[in-house]
Amino acid sequence: MNLLDIRNLSIALDTPTGRVLAVDRVSLSIKEGEFRGLVGESGSGKSLLAQAIIGVLQDKWHVDADRFHWRGIDLLRLTIDERRALLCRDIAMIFQEPMSCLDPTTLIGEQLSETIDTSQLSGYFWQRRKQRKEAVIKLLHKVGIKKHSQCINSYPHQLTEAICQRVMIAIALAGRPILLIADEPTAAMESTNQGQIFRLLANLNQLKNMSILLISHDLENLTHWTSTITVMYSGQFVEAGSTEKIFNKPMHPYTRALVDSSTKANLQLPTKSRLMTLPGSIPILQHLPIGCRLGPRCPRAQQKCVSAPKVSNFHGHKVSCHYPLLRDPGKKEAVKHKTGKGIN
Amino acid sequence: MLTFTLRRLALFLFTMMVLTLLSFSLSFLFPGDTVINHSGQINATATDLAKLNEAYQMDKNIFRQYSAYLQHIINGDFGQSMASQSPISNEIIELLPATIELSLVALLIAMLVGIPLGFIAAINHNKTSDNAILSFAMIGYSIPVFWLGLLAILLFSIGLGWLPSSGKISLLFEIEFVTGIQFIDILLSDSPYKWQAFNNASAHIILPACVIALAPATIFIRLSRAAMIEVLATSYIRAARAKGLNFRQIIFRHAIRNALIQIIRHVGLQFANLVTLAMVTEVIFSWPGIGRWLIESISQRDYTAIQSGLLALSCFIFIVHILTDFIYAALNPLARGNNHGS
Repeated sequence: MNLLDIRNLSIALDTPTGRVLAVDRVSLSIKEGEFRGLVGESGSGKSLLAQAIIGVLQDKWHVDADRFHWRGIDLLRLTIDERRALLCRDIAMIFQEPMSCLDPTTLIGEQLSETIDTSQLSGYFWQRRKQRKEAVIKLLHKVGIKKHSQCINSYPHQLTEAICQRVMIAIALAGRPILLIADEPTAAMESTNQGQIFRLLANLNQLKNMSILLISHDLENLTHWTSTITVMYSGQFVEAGSTEKIFNKPMHPYTRALVDSSTKANLQLPTKSRLMTLPGSIPILQHLPIGCRLGPRCPRAQQKCVSAPKVSNFHGHKVSCHYPLLRDPGKKEAVKHKTGKGIN
Repeated sequence: MLTFTLRRLALFLFTMMVLTLLSFSLSFLFPGDTVINHSGQINATATDLAKLNEAYQMDKNIFRQYSAYLQHIINGDFGQSMASQSPISNEIIELLPATIELSLVALLIAMLVGIPLGFIAAINHNKTSDNAILSFAMIGYSIPVFWLGLLAILLFSIGLGWLPSSGKISLLFEIEFVTGIQFIDILLSDSPYKWQAFNNASAHIILPACVIALAPATIFIRLSRAAMIEVLATSYIRAARAKGLNFRQIIFRHAIRNALIQIIRHVGLQFANLVTLAMVTEVIFSWPGIGRWLIESISQRDYTAIQSGLLALSCFIFIVHILTDFIYAALNPLARGNNHGS
């Protein structure tokens, strides 16, 4: 059963020139125990999507969806408070720039202990304090911080970025979440620390069977850790499928370009030649193209692309393109038959 | 923390140096003989003058003169008032505590009213209550203090007769002078009418303190509103929401402390403003404080009193400034380790 099932989620922003769809009908589903990656350039609405899921977007953003199910519960039928109560219990989120996400004037220990729910503690109220402290120490050990007493008694600015991110993960784990959303957890971090954080997330996924939604702009790095990947471009859904398929047989021209632009793909290039990139840059929010937003940059764009493509499903590999890249000629016919779309 | 304290102490010493230098130079700038301005002895005979010239080392160079002046001040000798011919230090000891009492009570009222109102406005940002509080702040800030004082007397003392209009305490009560701060003196005294005196003194202080507090309170409203809006938009508040804390927990555990840190820095600055308001209000409510005394000295051209009064008052303001710095450091862990002077 799908843990999280979102269909056609849109996030809009009111601007003086009218309403702008920052995220345009994106679908996302996460199974239990899945390690899913969400890839896209900066500004493609990944963080917005994550914040909309957990419900911490600012009031200026308007979110609506066709379907928003969490473990079979239709969240759209609940009130905002009920939804937040349910989601905050089951979903935890870690942000980029951990230092700024910790209260600068409160000790780490306090910030950790306030997330531990009273229902997790047993015993009388005079035992709670001690139990809380033990739970905090246990959490810190879980995320690989050995000097727990030192860490508990420090302020965020006294710790390094990587330790802060571990503390954030510990805070996220305190609620015993089922899904952990990691929003670029290693941005502005050194590569050794990056590896540690990713390994920690992978461990949590494998040992605790925790589902993880990892948001990143680095497709190549993501492929080491995730089992499935969703690609977004400029607020639109691009492609979703297993990591192996996405990386080896991308169907969408944008994913193709992403894979080609990675360093590994460019190894065979002769020296001093240009690296493979898509021409142009991601459109700004005020000047979004109609239809498929990749249109103006897409090497395969044709007249049809001015209308937004429907999502077509190839054995669990979903792609949103009028002219997907297909290698297998046998499949071509089947697809044509199934989706009724032109394929070049 | 030790370095922090030492740093503040050094700052205090140097600022006092500059202040004494200023009051020293005032004696030269005021009309009349310098040594008479220093000492305030206008009726001195020739032998007295010779003695004073000796004491203030007027025949030596300017640095010796300054150090002699400093020595007098450190020994607590501010000279005597030109108008009343009594030692100024005694008058300051008698009058300064009354001003301290009044301005501290006013500051307390301003903070207790202003900061929570600002927080409420920020939490209800862009709603009716926010706009109402902001317009109240605008109106309160625009009312001149002397006019407000007169109106308050007219309404509450004359019209309604609820509160007395002048003085520190009713003349019926005899309170022994110990610290000069009325409330402490009352509590220390063993008079059988202690609590009646206490009530009476409170009734006397309410009106002037509220009049003084209005303008600073409106400034605190704006400051705390801006600080709270800023804090509520930070990522750690968003992270706290994602953690599953409810709104009250976020406000009371995280938002208030961080917003207070930003406000506390301004309290010291606002205090100087508040003392100025207190001086005007003391005249209106005939509060026996140093502000009224100073204004009277100015109208009587009592140069010695002006000099020393300024010195005492600015010293007091500076001490409050340093105290707010300490509170700031206690609240903000980032400031404690800060090695750069600020």
